[in-house]
Amino acid sequence: MTQTPSNKLPRQNARTSRSARTTALATRPLMRWRGIDLITAAMLAVAFGVMFWGFDTFIYPILSTATAGFPPLGELMLGVWLVPAVVGALVIRRPGAALFTELVAANVELFLGNKWGAAVLLSGVLQGLGVELALALFRLRRFGVVVAVLGGILSAVFEIVFYEWQSYVPEYSSAWKAIYLGCGIVSGAVIAGAGGWLLVRALARTGALNAFPPGQEVREPQPV
Amino acid sequence: MLSPLVRKFVSRNPSKTVPPETVRTPAPLAVQGAVVELRDLTWRPFGRREPVLAGISLRIEAGSRVLVSGPSGSGKSTLLRALAGVLTTTETGDLTGSVLVDGSPPTGSSVALMMQDPGDALVAGRVGRDVAFGPESFGMARGEIWSRVRSALVSVVFPHDQDHATSALSGGGTQRLALAGVLALTPRLVLLDEPTSMLDPAAATMMREAIIAAVRASGATLVMVEHQLSDWVHEVDRLVVLDSAGRVTADGPVASTLASSADSLAAQGVWVPAAVAPRPLHVPRALCTPTRSAGRGGPSGPGAMLVSAESVSVIRQARASVMSANRPATAVEALQDVWAEVRARQCIAVVGPSGAGKSTLTALLAGVDAPTQGRVRAQDGLLAGLGAPSPEAIHRWTSPALAAGFGWVPQQAEQAVVARTVRDDVLSTSRRLGLDDDAAQARVDAMLEVLGLSALSGVDPHCLSGGEQRRLALAGAIAHGPSVLILDEPSVGQDRLTWSAVAGVVVAARDAGVGVVLATHDPLLIALADRQITLLAGRILDPAAGPQPPPAPGGLSPMAPPANRFAGLAGRSGPLSLLLASIMLVLGAPFISDLRTAMVAIAVQIALAPVVLGIGRPPWRRLMPGLFAVASVSFSNWLLSPGRGVSSGALAGLRVAFFVVPGVLLASRIDPSALGDHLGQRLRLPARPVVAAVAALYRFEGLGEHWNQLARIRRVRGLGPSRSPLGRARSVAALTFGLLIETLRQAGRMAVAMEARGFSAAVTSETPRTWAEPAPWRPTDSLMLALGLVVASMPMLFSHM
Repeated sequence: MTQTPSNKLPRQNARTSRSARTTALATRPLMRWRGIDLITAAMLAVAFGVMFWGFDTFIYPILSTATAGFPPLGELMLGVWLVPAVVGALVIRRPGAALFTELVAANVELFLGNKWGAAVLLSGVLQGLGVELALALFRLRRFGVVVAVLGGILSAVFEIVFYEWQSYVPEYSSAWKAIYLGCGIVSGAVIAGAGGWLLVRALARTGALNAFPPGQEVREPQPV
Repeated sequence: MLSPLVRKFVSRNPSKTVPPETVRTPAPLAVQGAVVELRDLTWRPFGRREPVLAGISLRIEAGSRVLVSGPSGSGKSTLLRALAGVLTTTETGDLTGSVLVDGSPPTGSSVALMMQDPGDALVAGRVGRDVAFGPESFGMARGEIWSRVRSALVSVVFPHDQDHATSALSGGGTQRLALAGVLALTPRLVLLDEPTSMLDPAAATMMREAIIAAVRASGATLVMVEHQLSDWVHEVDRLVVLDSAGRVTADGPVASTLASSADSLAAQGVWVPAAVAPRPLHVPRALCTPTRSAGRGGPSGPGAMLVSAESVSVIRQARASVMSANRPATAVEALQDVWAEVRARQCIAVVGPSGAGKSTLTALLAGVDAPTQGRVRAQDGLLAGLGAPSPEAIHRWTSPALAAGFGWVPQQAEQAVVARTVRDDVLSTSRRLGLDDDAAQARVDAMLEVLGLSALSGVDPHCLSGGEQRRLALAGAIAHGPSVLILDEPSVGQDRLTWSAVAGVVVAARDAGVGVVLATHDPLLIALADRQITLLAGRILDPAAGPQPPPAPGGLSPMAPPANRFAGLAGRSGPLSLLLASIMLVLGAPFISDLRTAMVAIAVQIALAPVVLGIGRPPWRRLMPGLFAVASVSFSNWLLSPGRGVSSGALAGLRVAFFVVPGVLLASRIDPSALGDHLGQRLRLPARPVVAAVAALYRFEGLGEHWNQLARIRRVRGLGPSRSPLGRARSVAALTFGLLIETLRQAGRMAVAMEARGFSAAVTSETPRTWAEPAPWRPTDSLMLALGLVVASMPMLFSHM
């Protein structure tokens, strides 16, 4: 059995087909992004951009007028904007995946003319960095629900503490600022963290993520 | 070497980006065809028990033309990907054996792969830039890139000039663009995956001629996959047949191989020339009987009118787009003044070339789209048997009411998955309508058996092959007993077996009393129909009316662009300076510490607005969300500040207004593709992420349209959103999931197409990627940046006074 070099498969670090609970890692070296990693991250970001556009146009106005009486409640929607970072990181499992996905999604919003202008790019950077920090704390070896929730929380913290406290709610009293942060953290943990993790798992089961580690975790134990 | 005919298609206007002295159209470069050798190639992707390609050994001589054929699922496309070296792009698995092109593994510059759906290979907004993708990836100089682009477009006889928008191309145009894109690298081996399967007969003929001419002129080796053999047997030298296990069963000169294996090929579903036309599958009539007419006062007798479309017109407005956010919307007239009737026990074929409006008309008749003018009404044949009166216009019906009467299969059947297993998918509409569960299950099981899907009942529908998904969609549309069945291009790209299944269902449904509408250009299916409606450019062509003047091309003309008005400094600045100016404003905003500073700063911005943004009506619609945001920030800060001071609220609002209002207006002038060029060349960001992001941005409208299509499919299957918030949330979740799956699949196909054109070539070789268009920094850019810096630092300076 001969193998030509260009067709030789990179070594996988997963112990597949022995137990269903292994974590498949991205092929090494981690900074060597494959073409499909880049394109999938960008396409996921644009798909989320489509959904953000719909959310902004149809749902956000209703929800924000409903919570106009108690604005920190509106911050409970923050998690929706953090989902691309978490999903990108869990699917691609390389450093920079969260940042890239979130930045491209922010760019989609920018070009469509969302209400914050170029500020959305700064938000995107902060949100992506939060998830990257969570992954780095686990040294890019674990990608389960704990990491996802921590990523959601840190992402919300970065976004609120470094940006929203200064720009959107600078005049709040400290107590209200803390409540605002709390709502953001809950939203990040539940919607982006747990929700993002469940979403990636469901996508992996359909076979759409076969090129990525989540798909590999699901596939080899149950060949079709 | 160029014939006068070809020269007519060559654009007279030189591209703006190339200096005039290099404008000439060189003849297409002739190359030495590659020698291809496959030795015992075996490929088993992870997740499959059996290999897709099993021990394939072939030797293809330089310059020969080979046709690969076989049943659906026999690994033909996989073989092409192996020859292109992109097998492991989207999948991992066990690969043994070797592929050698001219003695070494295949690379993007020597091998060209054109995929089945040319839309997957689009990477840019303009034709010339799209074709330039390949040469860019291999680091060629700008002058050489554009000369290759011109020669590639000439060799495929491209009908438009190279500044034409890629989104405005027809199916045939996109296919030729894809061919030009792969020929731009002057490959020695050209691989084509079903190049004409998506086209109507006229466009297919033109494409075939373009392929033959281009390949003959260049001398490259050609390997192509087709399952419509009759058009190609005279153009190729050799036929290779694969079987469903991925092995080569026949290989040799076309005539003799066809003669010896014609019967087995036809039995496996390949469209063999001169074989007997396939017969419709025998489907028991009882499986297609409309539920309404089963003794409950349904359609009364043959020919009862079910649905009528009266003078319908459809005018499509261009929707939100990332790329044209600040360009005037163009309206397209898809249908004009069309009348149609659907009667029980009758099959109507809607025929016409691509773009004639067949899909639009069938969507109207299915009640999933609304006409801009005119009405589509349900008639007595359909309304009898319904308890409560429904509105006459069917697009207003609720989802369950629509599902009870209609079955619709769109052109892309693989989008129509609504459940986790095949069986549940087909049952979902019956369950939603509350039909008797035992009867429904029996009917579904029988239908799956007849269509050959019963072995796959428990499988996830996303794992099925193309033909199987088509049959699944068909089963799902008919299993609940609708009175009207509407199929949009049901046999495009399908093999004989799936054709038989489609035709069988059509005939059985028609005989059972269903009104069937087919939008198709397949002559075999048209022969099954009782009546025909011919559409041309959105109007009905009445054969009895004698020769008519040719219809005006293209429908309504686009709205005239606004007269050249002063576009302001922003209109003359590049994207990078606009972006940096916006970002500086955001960074400067937190330094606003009191109301006086805020008001002065905003006053300065308003004063500068005409200079920077130009004279004209202020775009209130664009500003509205921003102004709403400013108001809500003011309100919330007033409410929750320690002293509830009005000045606190006003200060917060003005601070936000400082960066939001100009930021939104500046950002709307940025062209994403130009921004990509600037980021890559001026800021020297890594090229591949930027290129990938720009290519993905062009898919925005397509993904938005996919969302709408998914919503339509769910509506006609009875799964549309109910009024309750929970129902709507569930529907949004399902649509989100469907959109993401399609996004991932499309990304995979895009990755294969881009890798085959050398996307990652720069990583392995030492030559960095080049950019076909320059990123100039003009004096206006410096002025814009300086102005941004001044305005952004005003708060900081004021606060020190």
